Amino acid sequence: MSMTRRGVLALPALAVLPAVANAAGTVRIGYIEPLTGNAAAAGKSIQQGVGLLVDIINTPHPDLAPLPLAAGAGLPKLGGAKVDVVWADNQGNPSVGQSDALRLITQDQVVALCGAYQSNITLTASAVAERYGIPFLTGESVAANLTERGYKWFFRTTPFGPDFGNLYLDFLAYAAKAGHKTDKIAIVHEDTDYGTSVAGSITQAASKRGIKIAQDIAYNANGTDVSPQVLQLKNGQPDVVIFISYTSDAILYMKTFKTLGYRPPIVIGDDSGFSDPSFVASVGDIAQGVLNRSAFVAGRPDSLTYKMNALFKKTTGRDLDDTTARSMQGFLVLCDAINRAGSTKPDAIREALAATDMPANELMIGYKGVKFNQQGQNVLAYSLMIQLQGKDYVPVWPLNAATAKLELPFKGWA
Amino acid sequence: MRIAPGSLAAAVVLVLLAVVPALTGNPFYQHIAALVVLAAISASAWNVIGGYAGQVSFGHAVYFGTGAYASLLVFDKLGLPPIAGAPLGVLASFVLSIVIGLPSFRLRGHYFSMATIAVAALAQVLVTNWGFVGGAIGLMGPASPRSIADLLFRSALPYYAMFLVVLAILLACTWLMQRGRTGFYLRALGSGEQAAESLGVPVRRYKLYALLMSGAFTSLAGSLYAVFVGFIDPNSGFGILVSVNMVVMSALGGAGTLFGPLAGAIILVPLEEITNAWLGGSGTGSAYVAYGIVIMIIARFAPGGLAQLWHLLAWGRRRAA
Amino acid sequence: MILLQLVIDGLLLGAVYALFSSGLTLIWGMMNVVNFAHGDFVMVAMYVAFFAFTLLKIGPALFVPLAAVVLFLLGVAVYYGLVRHVMRGPMLAQIISTFGLALFLRYSALWAFSANFVSLPDNLVGGTFQFGEVRVSAAQLLAGITALVLTLGMHLLLTRTDLGSRMLAVSEDRSAAALVGIRPDPMQALAWGLGGASAGVAGALIALFFYVSPEVGNSFTLLAFVTVCLGGFGSVPGALLAGLAIGVIQSFSAYWIGPSTKDVVVFALFVLLLWIRPQGLLGRA
Repeated sequence: MSMTRRGVLALPALAVLPAVANAAGTVRIGYIEPLTGNAAAAGKSIQQGVGLLVDIINTPHPDLAPLPLAAGAGLPKLGGAKVDVVWADNQGNPSVGQSDALRLITQDQVVALCGAYQSNITLTASAVAERYGIPFLTGESVAANLTERGYKWFFRTTPFGPDFGNLYLDFLAYAAKAGHKTDKIAIVHEDTDYGTSVAGSITQAASKRGIKIAQDIAYNANGTDVSPQVLQLKNGQPDVVIFISYTSDAILYMKTFKTLGYRPPIVIGDDSGFSDPSFVASVGDIAQGVLNRSAFVAGRPDSLTYKMNALFKKTTGRDLDDTTARSMQGFLVLCDAINRAGSTKPDAIREALAATDMPANELMIGYKGVKFNQQGQNVLAYSLMIQLQGKDYVPVWPLNAATAKLELPFKGWA
Repeated sequence: MRIAPGSLAAAVVLVLLAVVPALTGNPFYQHIAALVVLAAISASAWNVIGGYAGQVSFGHAVYFGTGAYASLLVFDKLGLPPIAGAPLGVLASFVLSIVIGLPSFRLRGHYFSMATIAVAALAQVLVTNWGFVGGAIGLMGPASPRSIADLLFRSALPYYAMFLVVLAILLACTWLMQRGRTGFYLRALGSGEQAAESLGVPVRRYKLYALLMSGAFTSLAGSLYAVFVGFIDPNSGFGILVSVNMVVMSALGGAGTLFGPLAGAIILVPLEEITNAWLGGSGTGSAYVAYGIVIMIIARFAPGGLAQLWHLLAWGRRRAA
Repeated sequence: MILLQLVIDGLLLGAVYALFSSGLTLIWGMMNVVNFAHGDFVMVAMYVAFFAFTLLKIGPALFVPLAAVVLFLLGVAVYYGLVRHVMRGPMLAQIISTFGLALFLRYSALWAFSANFVSLPDNLVGGTFQFGEVRVSAAQLLAGITALVLTLGMHLLLTRTDLGSRMLAVSEDRSAAALVGIRPDPMQALAWGLGGASAGVAGALIALFFYVSPEVGNSFTLLAFVTVCLGGFGSVPGALLAGLAIGVIQSFSAYWIGPSTKDVVVFALFVLLLWIRPQGLLGRA
């Protein structure tokens, strides 16, 4: 893994160099993630995943063949220049993210930025990038407003809010056809911008189809007790409960379900908390049958995704989770664009990004491809429904990507 | 009031420290300088009620958040440049000071502090659940400048200049206040509230004056923050860390002194930025560990803050605690 | 029925709030020092419980007392190392010193244990009891009852024992107590030790049904403050009453009004109560 930190006070001289001049043979990319604070576990996981990618790019990995830049060492169109990532901690604070972006651009002379996990931090950090004319690519932030600002330098590879709403509703329509009742939908979401914006997207998608959400329960993510919320659910008796939660709350809800003896017929967890490895480790055995969305599934042993998962597992001891995989894919797209540009000039990189047209077989994730529209959003982004069966999440829908049969109703605990 | 030579020297040093980064031409240092002055505004505003009047408020974020939200609301709803919301924020802060401050002044010591924490926490929860002001998602400022009034600059220098002007006005007002009758009464009630009252000092009225001024400038700081960062949400506006930072900065520099909060800001803001730059990327939280240790050391060895240390150096004599 | 379930849930959780808050009120009442790090003491205790179980394979019967001992020592160390010195300074310095301590504890935990949430296995204190239509998890029942017993025990210690009266004497008037031969330092250190120990037991108990991470201290600290203030500084029975009340209020408002606003009710009631009765429920005026 190659991670470098820069001492601010030691480099006043570099400040006067134009943003283009990198040390010969290295291309520096800035990565802003939460490395402390509530989301630190996710940030660290992304740090590990991206470190793995840097190694794959900089040294030959012919066995990963269709993956861009894996075959050789470094970026071929830049004379084999190595990629170097400079990490910054956003501390869960939009103002810190803003400072990080500025420091990475002006002090560390990065040619592009990635990050920043929390959508509101991606907002402020990418605003700095836009002002300085530096490309900013997010592989993981999902708020809709990020691509509604008319920015030229902002790109997003991950599916976002509205996509998830449609995914769940399409899935539920399928479940209804298969004979499961799905009329009453309850959304339980944590009350920061993540939970609120995704809940809003789902509600909007539902109303476009004439479906009204039966219960909308917002809760404080740092709460110590969720029994009242579970009691509200028990009372309302919804057919479907959709959770939009971080890890600790997701764990708490599953435990409380068991304590209060409540099993809703269909339980969907929106990525994040439910995808965190500690979720499966802590409450996997009492949350059997919980549904989730993911763009990443390890898949067949000869597939690229399987190999990436194996590499990640070797380094970290855990399976690759959806959020980390999405961020990694974004980073890969950026490096590929820099390579295609054949230059570290921001304009060239931006043009290369805008022209990206990566086919599905070159991806380490389940998107249909990578192609950006006018707003910088990847229109070929894609997710599947996965279900916790045993110790793993397995894809169950759409049927052509499923490797296991959908098991309803929700089993919970033995 | 004569200005003691030590204080004059302190003022000169601080002014120099404040101005020099702007001259380096390094955008990142300029950004830090702007952050320092912005933090100094909040801390100095807090100092009026917390330092001079001795009412330790841990909920000043309620004013900061009000100012920030006022700015971004007028942009979001009316399409006006965010800075136009600043007077609105100040007006709202006056109302808050009267509605919340007056009843709270009956509380003494820790009880007062606790009430202020609860009020700010209350404000945070209310805003989080109020869709009209953006709820948990918060409010965005203009994505790109529509006119110069939007105050969206690429360089940090214009912000720095604006903040410096506001700080100068605040410090001038504070200086005038503390050398006048208000300052006299505040010092009296600081030494013993009941005694002061029995001597005829209109304690509640003067506490209110101090709070009105303190709240107004804190609200202004919030409005300026919203313009600078371009985003506000319940946590960055009303969160406990916002309040605590004001207190810590003021205390470390020397609460109840004119330049204490500025000194605190000059030390703490770059410290946070530098520890994040050096250690943050490792994700070990070591930046905060260092921050915590520094705070404990200063509290333990220089409880009067840097102002106390300065007095020691300047006059070689311990200031009465 | 739901009403009873809400009350029981609220009381059980409230008892735990009461336990760690009683430690805070002891410290606060005795020497007028605000311990901003109290929630982080609870966090440390949770980690002690977790590691005692995973590394030493000992069960709650052992790791709860272990956490109490470790936190007792931490409390005493904090007193002699930090608090004793800042107590002579202005109140502001006292406040920020414990705030620095909170940061130090929290981020040292992050450094040492990483940000990943960990939790004790679900069935450590196994099962769920069912009383009619009310279901109570055994872990929460144990936590609640233990907390109740210990809080009462602390109250008895302070009011019925010799040691207790000596501690109370020091809190009333430090120099007068010194004049009659009670050394203030050990008494105050003991207060910190007991405060730590109560946080220790509370944390170890909470770990039975709640996740462990470096950040949990934050919410516990604020809750403890509200509980202590409501109950009145220095009053352990006050902390008990207030803790139980807050647990029940939270439970009810979360169910009836909405989970996100449950804190609103607690804070609003709290502020109103302070305005009407500044010394809290049972505090000394």
